[in-house]
Amino acid sequence: MIFSTLEHILTHISFSVVSIVITIHFLTLFLLVDEVVGLYDSSKKGMIVTFFCITGLLVTRWIYSGHFPLSDLYESLIFLSWGFSLIHMVSYLKFKKRKNNLSAITAPSAIFTQGFATSGLLTKMHQSAILAPALQSQWLMMHVSMMVLGYAALLCGSLLSVALLVITFRKAIKIIGENNNFSFSFGKIQYMNERSNVLLNTYFLSSKNYYRYQLTQQLDRWSYRIISLGFIFLTIGILSGAVWANEAWGSYWNWDPKETWAFITWTIFAIYFHTRTNTNLEGVNSALVASMGFLIIWICYFGVNLLGIGLHSYGSFTLN
Amino acid sequence: METLLNPSKTPNLFIPKTHLFKLSFLHSNFNPQPHSSFNRRPLSITITCKVKTSQGRKNDGKNISKKIVLTDSAPELSNEEIKAKPKGGGKAWGVIKKFPKRVLAILSNLPLAIGEMFTVAGLMALGTAIDQGESPEYYFLKYPEENPIFGFFTWRWVLTLGFDHMFSSPVFLGTLILLGTSLMACTYTTQIPLVKVARRWSFLQSADSIRKQEFSDTLPQASVSDLGVILMGAGYEVFLKGPSLYAFKGLAGRFAPIGVHLAMLLIMAGGTLSATGSFRGSVTVPQGLNFVMGDVLGPTGFLSTPTEAFNTEVHVNKFYMDYYDSGEVSQFHTDLSLFDMNGKEVMRKTLSVNDPLRYGGITIYQTDWSFSALQILKDGEGPFNLAMAPLTINGDKKLFGTFLPVGDTDSSNVKGISMLARDLQSIVLYDKQGKFAGVRRPNSKLPIEIDGTKIVIVDAIGSSGLDLKTDPGVPAVYAGFGALMLTTCISYLSHAQIWALQDGTTVIVGGKTNRAKAEFPDEMNRLLDQVPEIVESSISKKPDNIGG
Repeated sequence: MIFSTLEHILTHISFSVVSIVITIHFLTLFLLVDEVVGLYDSSKKGMIVTFFCITGLLVTRWIYSGHFPLSDLYESLIFLSWGFSLIHMVSYLKFKKRKNNLSAITAPSAIFTQGFATSGLLTKMHQSAILAPALQSQWLMMHVSMMVLGYAALLCGSLLSVALLVITFRKAIKIIGENNNFSFSFGKIQYMNERSNVLLNTYFLSSKNYYRYQLTQQLDRWSYRIISLGFIFLTIGILSGAVWANEAWGSYWNWDPKETWAFITWTIFAIYFHTRTNTNLEGVNSALVASMGFLIIWICYFGVNLLGIGLHSYGSFTLN
Repeated sequence: METLLNPSKTPNLFIPKTHLFKLSFLHSNFNPQPHSSFNRRPLSITITCKVKTSQGRKNDGKNISKKIVLTDSAPELSNEEIKAKPKGGGKAWGVIKKFPKRVLAILSNLPLAIGEMFTVAGLMALGTAIDQGESPEYYFLKYPEENPIFGFFTWRWVLTLGFDHMFSSPVFLGTLILLGTSLMACTYTTQIPLVKVARRWSFLQSADSIRKQEFSDTLPQASVSDLGVILMGAGYEVFLKGPSLYAFKGLAGRFAPIGVHLAMLLIMAGGTLSATGSFRGSVTVPQGLNFVMGDVLGPTGFLSTPTEAFNTEVHVNKFYMDYYDSGEVSQFHTDLSLFDMNGKEVMRKTLSVNDPLRYGGITIYQTDWSFSALQILKDGEGPFNLAMAPLTINGDKKLFGTFLPVGDTDSSNVKGISMLARDLQSIVLYDKQGKFAGVRRPNSKLPIEIDGTKIVIVDAIGSSGLDLKTDPGVPAVYAGFGALMLTTCISYLSHAQIWALQDGTTVIVGGKTNRAKAEFPDEMNRLLDQVPEIVESSISKKPDNIGG
């Protein structure tokens, strides 16, 4: 009884803290209250609190149910948000000196996954369930935790690539947008203005471009490193799953939908690494591939469970 | 013609390595031209100098310079590239000899490999979207010709291309084979030469080339040997030759991708062996009965050969299940005895899910269970064995039922007592009208009275669902898995290279790395801050530590 109430408390604390953190982030973004350093500091502390809350939640669930907290969709969602906050903590601790842009990606990801997990859609799954015979194995811990951590890291990395694409093509999107509106003439005047003030604006434009270039470079490198890490976890997860399947059912690859989609995810990120070997294709092209990877991970993690068939049917659920 | 050898028009020399082959074509074309144009100018010298300063091209540079020198003096064809095309006859033989090289060059093309990977991914996605292994009528109904999906996709596409068994269809397997050959070609042509390039300790002799690196810095009043000591402390391997220094760290990170490719080739080979050389079978054996392994196992491919162990007889001693307090199934176990041809017991083990039995290369897995028969006493007579039949309901919960006829058994609508069970621990009984009569557990031996008949449930006999398998490819596949995991982890390491040159009292430092590009400048700055500044009073150096 104590454990379940503790679990409830921890869930609600982590949810509220992360909501506050994301509100702060949006405030700094939209209202440009950058000068208020205190807010930034409190968002950092908020993420630390969240990390410990979710860790506490998982440990409580582990003790209460007697099995590692990764046996159904709800638990894996909690684990995914834990993964995001873990990445956030690691990058925060490692790069204390520089201002870290990564929190803009990890914090919202954590809140959204946490929010979805605790929302009304999956209330009937909050109770810790009993483990089916096939899941009673030591391999459960390694395989599923590696897979979910891999998903967390790959999702972060692909979101960074999406951010890179948005920043690179923001001008193009704006120009296209302006072409379609009545503000086309306005845009043209702007353009003419810029051209006439060439000398004055070249300096500003080039410095703006320079900072934008720096930002895209940084995003590119960050996403490369994080996706590499996620790829390692994904590889270990897939291979340990195959070995487990061989021990349990006698065949290490069954073309099960979830297995196949995990392999497709692995292939897409392998393509990502190969596009980066050639410097001509580096940058935007690899970011495009990583953005595709973002969609594919969600299909793999979530979409397949909606089908509800195959060896991985433990994760299935019905929306009611 | 002379403009062909003009140094300003030598961008050809800077083509990356994969195009080296094309370059030799270019030069072999020079042979039939008259020598007078070449004899006039010593242009060859300028070109070779230019080529030498670009790193990593030394091999190409040497080759090219050799070629130019040769055509300068005499038409000797001692160069190995031109050997393949001797003057006069034998032209066709030369073409055939070059064919594997051309194929290799085509196969190791990167965009082709990327295209193949996309194709494999797309086919797999399609394989999950289309239901696999159904009868043709299913596809006639699902993808009708009258109403094609996307305007063209009908059942004809599905059946002719083999999409109903996508993962063993020729299209998919062909793409996989192509990917495998690309992998082998790429490893041979691109990655192994990379090993040679990476291992060379290439000292950079000019300050300009050092300054051109991704990261470069100048340290006034410093000594190259101090820098070397600092780098050694930071884990680099340092090589000093006179005024120039070369240091690297994390060389394993350069070689690991080769390991990844080799591991994947190993896995593919093991998988092919599994697909063509293994035996599979499954059987549901009621408690107390036995079967011979060889009767159950069937081959999967043309390389499957049975072994002596196939003659073993398997006897199911006992099948039982464990339950949670809530009544759900927790685990099921089978106690098996193995007997050889002479009837001697060679092995006895209790299997459960996730805990298989291994004997003589054959593995037996506990995968399923079933209800075989219900043993009852009717009015004190018996025991009668009533066979239990599985009843289909949605989901993966099982339901079994049996029927005990009461009264006239020859009439057309026989009435009787129905018994249903979800698992082996409790049986639910219904009377002739189908009304619920009671629940009994087999080991309680409590009688139940239904419509004047006294029933005692004696025993619930389960049957064990076993899967048997023998797979020769598993060791290779496991080795490949382990290698892949290890090499993927290692390829995360970043290979950093640092060059330095002592120019008077200044040290010019340059460095590059292949992976951790974001953190490299910070790390370099940190290291360079530690190099002591030399405050010169006379010839002797007095290192004054200004760390920071």
